[in-house]
Amino acid sequence: MRSLIVKIGLLFMLPVPVWAHTIIVAPGTKVATLKQAVTLAKNGDTIRVEKGTYISLNTIVDKELTILGQNQPVLDARFQEEVLTITSGHVKLDGFIIKNSKTGSMRDFAGIRLSNVEFVTISNNTLINNFFGIYLSNCKHIQVLHNHITGSNNIENSGNGIHLWKCKEILLNENYVTRHRDGIYFEFAKKCLIENNFSEKNIRYGLHFMFSDDDTYRHNTFKNNGSGVSVMYTRRIAMLDNTFIENWGSSIYGVLLKEITDARIEGNHFIRNTTGIYMENSDRITVTHNDFVSNGWAMRVLASCNKDHFTQNNYKGNSFDVTTNGTLKEIYFNDNYWDKYEGYDLNKDGTGDIPYRPISLYAQIIEQNPQSVMLMRSFIVNLIDKVERAIPSITPESVKDEKPRMKPWKK
Amino acid sequence: MKRLNIITMLLCCLLTACSHGPDPIRYGKDACAHCKMTIMDKRFAAELITAKGKVFKFDAAECMAGFLKENPTIAGDAKSVFLVNDFTNPGQFTDARKSFFLRDSSLSSPMGGNLAAFLSRQAAEAAKKDKSAQVYDWSLLLSKNK
Repeated sequence: MRSLIVKIGLLFMLPVPVWAHTIIVAPGTKVATLKQAVTLAKNGDTIRVEKGTYISLNTIVDKELTILGQNQPVLDARFQEEVLTITSGHVKLDGFIIKNSKTGSMRDFAGIRLSNVEFVTISNNTLINNFFGIYLSNCKHIQVLHNHITGSNNIENSGNGIHLWKCKEILLNENYVTRHRDGIYFEFAKKCLIENNFSEKNIRYGLHFMFSDDDTYRHNTFKNNGSGVSVMYTRRIAMLDNTFIENWGSSIYGVLLKEITDARIEGNHFIRNTTGIYMENSDRITVTHNDFVSNGWAMRVLASCNKDHFTQNNYKGNSFDVTTNGTLKEIYFNDNYWDKYEGYDLNKDGTGDIPYRPISLYAQIIEQNPQSVMLMRSFIVNLIDKVERAIPSITPESVKDEKPRMKPWKK
Repeated sequence: MKRLNIITMLLCCLLTACSHGPDPIRYGKDACAHCKMTIMDKRFAAELITAKGKVFKFDAAECMAGFLKENPTIAGDAKSVFLVNDFTNPGQFTDARKSFFLRDSSLSSPMGGNLAAFLSRQAAEAAKKDKSAQVYDWSLLLSKNK
């Protein structure tokens, strides 16, 4: 009986009523702009826009519509306004080229703006040269799928590619973002999922969290951005199976963690970054099953971090495995593979018989005296590191891996 | 001759490093001294020069205030110079001690402080959008931050 009531209930919730109409927009016909079509349409209708270039000075979509672009029609705001604003729930926008929103310092002009709405899907669009690409403010249950977003790469006139402010339960899947300020920006966005996106060559961060709790991002690639990914003032973030590659330069990091708690960092690849992970004031972080390959600093863990666990990671070909700026407390390393480990495994159980100390003496010296980086890879540095490993006296006693793996972890 | 050129160039570099004064912010390159974020937005960026001439750059006025909270000696030093951007004329540094700060929820400054600086109290009042917005002067801003 109960299931029947549910079924009847579901029937009433069908999004497209059977009596919906389709309105066709084409250049040179009666309905020549999207704006006209929206005025004509009723809730539940479909608008099909034929190939062509349409000027769209902040077209407002305030009805429950399915808007489909045929063969990628162009909506152009000619740098005068926003292109499109969606103020109604249950809208689908698919298959457009959206370009040239206004820029300027007083307002955040966007290619597609969603304001106070639920159940909207934005898919298969190409956004070119907009100040902000897709701007979600105060939204819930939104899907942003398979969009290709390119900014102007101009420092003054670049907003964020995908910008979320005060949102909940948003899905971002298979988007490509480049040449914006931050590729993807989250502020007060909770319980969101960011999957399979590619963010490269953005001016600041590939992905940026501020005050956003309970989000997950996985299978994304962040390449050659200003600073990779930055997670700040945020709780319970899961970062799974992402790739951070070639984020190079001074004060540039694969991941920058600042004042975050209870995060999981699992199965990620950090390849050729200046610093793989930089952590400051970050508590209860678990870092497991990650690969750190060919980074300058695999990890920089500041003394303000507490109760962090690093287990079953691979550290290969990094100039420095771990550095810090003071005394680390309650930071645990266990069961990691370190290519710099020179111990032995007499009982052949796969783990080394003597502990590995990931913070080298030379790393400590550089911390005190950055100029000494000049001596890198010199005979004297190798010598003092070897002596210190044999007879540890200066490197912190507490930071060590009691069970270093003899062979790298395989995925 | 060529060598002389190189030497003068080197000398110039050395001399500029000693100069006491504001250092232009390289937007998109310099990182905030407080929150580590790259400084991007001209409207909100701030700078602090200590009595000894050390320069700290910030992406927002709230970051400078936060930094001063942790470094009260710099905050209390009359010789410290605090510079902020005038919101209505971004890119132009003005003295923070003489500026007025608007905290308005419609301003989305980089660190969530929703703060912007203005040359006069009138200008700050005029930019109000939110009814509950408030205008502070510098000393009030610092005391609010404690």
